[in-house]
Amino acid sequence: MLKTPGWEMMIVWYFFLGGIAGGAYFTAAIADNFGGPRDGRVARIGYLLSLPLTGLCGLLLIADLGVPTRFLNMLGVFKFWNPMSIGAWGLGIFGLFSFISSVLSFSTSEQMIGLRRKASLVGSIFGFFLAAYTGVLLSNTALPFWGDSRLMGALFLASGASTGMAAISLLLFLSGAPAGEGWGKLKKADRYSMVFELLVLAIFLALLGSAARPITSGHFAPLFWGGLVGAGLVIPLVLELVGQRVKAIAAVTAVLVLAGGFVLRYVVVMSTQS
Amino acid sequence: MARTLAMFTDTSLCIGCRACQVACKQWNELGAEVPEWTGSYQNHSHFTDKTYRLVRFMEDPKPSGDLAWLLMSDVCKHCAEAGCLEACPTGAIYRTDFGTVNINQDVCNGCRYCVSACPFGVVSFNHETGTVRKCTFCNDRIHNGLGPACAKACPTDSIQFGFREELVRKAANRVEALKAMGFKDAQLYGADSKGFLGGLNAFFLLLAKPATYHLPDSPRLPQRNVVVDSLLSIGSALVVGLGALMAFRDRGKGDADA
Ligand code: SF4
Ligand code: SF4
Repeated sequence: MLKTPGWEMMIVWYFFLGGIAGGAYFTAAIADNFGGPRDGRVARIGYLLSLPLTGLCGLLLIADLGVPTRFLNMLGVFKFWNPMSIGAWGLGIFGLFSFISSVLSFSTSEQMIGLRRKASLVGSIFGFFLAAYTGVLLSNTALPFWGDSRLMGALFLASGASTGMAAISLLLFLSGAPAGEGWGKLKKADRYSMVFELLVLAIFLALLGSAARPITSGHFAPLFWGGLVGAGLVIPLVLELVGQRVKAIAAVTAVLVLAGGFVLRYVVVMSTQS
Repeated sequence: MARTLAMFTDTSLCIGCRACQVACKQWNELGAEVPEWTGSYQNHSHFTDKTYRLVRFMEDPKPSGDLAWLLMSDVCKHCAEAGCLEACPTGAIYRTDFGTVNINQDVCNGCRYCVSACPFGVVSFNHETGTVRKCTFCNDRIHNGLGPACAKACPTDSIQFGFREELVRKAANRVEALKAMGFKDAQLYGADSKGFLGGLNAFFLLLAKPATYHLPDSPRLPQRNVVVDSLLSIGSALVVGLGALMAFRDRGKGDADA
């Protein structure tokens, strides 16, 4: 006779946007540190995207509590083994790095660029954290499916990567960036993340077996199979394969991947609670 | 730390009068609720933010085809290893000097993580205050030399209150006596401090297997996998990061692949 926490859409959005913020940031950091001069645009968009998203994440968390000042109660304690506790801290620290990187992304001085690169390597750790911890948070509850899934954090991280990269890709398209400029590399990295996400998802489901039923059969199954696996991962990969050089296709796949990432958080959060 | 206090609920003595449920409501000033039809005399179907003690009415089919009533006054188990307490990010849920588990209403921020972390579905969200509620083990009473209101009100001693070791000894004797009387399935639930969840400070004597009372056979601490899950996430991060690194790395040939 278990009880569900009654988390609703705000939490789904938080999980989704937190994944994008983290994913976009570490992608930017990698492009910034290991890419060439033409990857600068990817890096800057990634940094600049993560900042408002992190702010939005904070607002969602605070709004979900009803009484805003109660968020502070979470900052009076630090339980390093508790995903919810370090999550609140992690989000704050990540926001700080996101801010620093965003500001420095406008600088042209060598010194500042060097500083930005170094800072972003440390910030990436928090980016990875932000994308993954929400999964670990769910997998350490008493509820079936959530509590049974050892790979929830790994899966959320892979999804954070693919959606974060997709979001940068979409912004590149919307800002009318020419097809070169590191976009090809970004798409390559995104494809790689999607393949990895599919792999993690397969192992995730295999390990869960019948415990995965809340999402693999019943009410949420069409959304899961159609929205995430089909439209969110397999179709984008196929589209990328056939239309690599077409800009509009890159935009379509990005939208599909983003929608798939949302569906993942939605079916996971809602199915167990329904 | 003071000696651990406990409640022992001996379901074999329960007559389903609900004096405990009412006493709890009165003492803790828990408001009225709209009753619900549960198919039996039980009300409500589960703990709520205003029902901390709940008398469960189980109908158990007998070999003769008749139904036997199994009664159980259920409550927060005040687990020695408490999922709710581990989950709480604000420190609102704490262990008292008597070993019971309590929620500080001024500190709770209403995140509801604890609700999902209790293996028994005890913690309940109160929409008016935006905080969570559960049995306090009558924290005010025990700190003033009184037992919990439910135990005080119980007319059959089905709920007993005292120091844990003494109650466990009593309970073990009671199981033996019941077995001798022919109650083959009589058993203790949560009395063993080396058993699941480090033992329950509110433990039970059951007349049938736990599942009959909607209790998990061997509940485990939900947080037991936090290290494994985190390591797997780190592994995932390494693979993802390496992939992105390979994609973005300039292999000394300028931006040829841009
Ligand atoms: S029964 Fe649930 S609410 Fe009570 S102490 Fe144990 S985990 Fe916490
Ligand atoms: S709802 Fe309150 S008591 Fe429960 S985990 Fe959150 S802060 Fe702690």
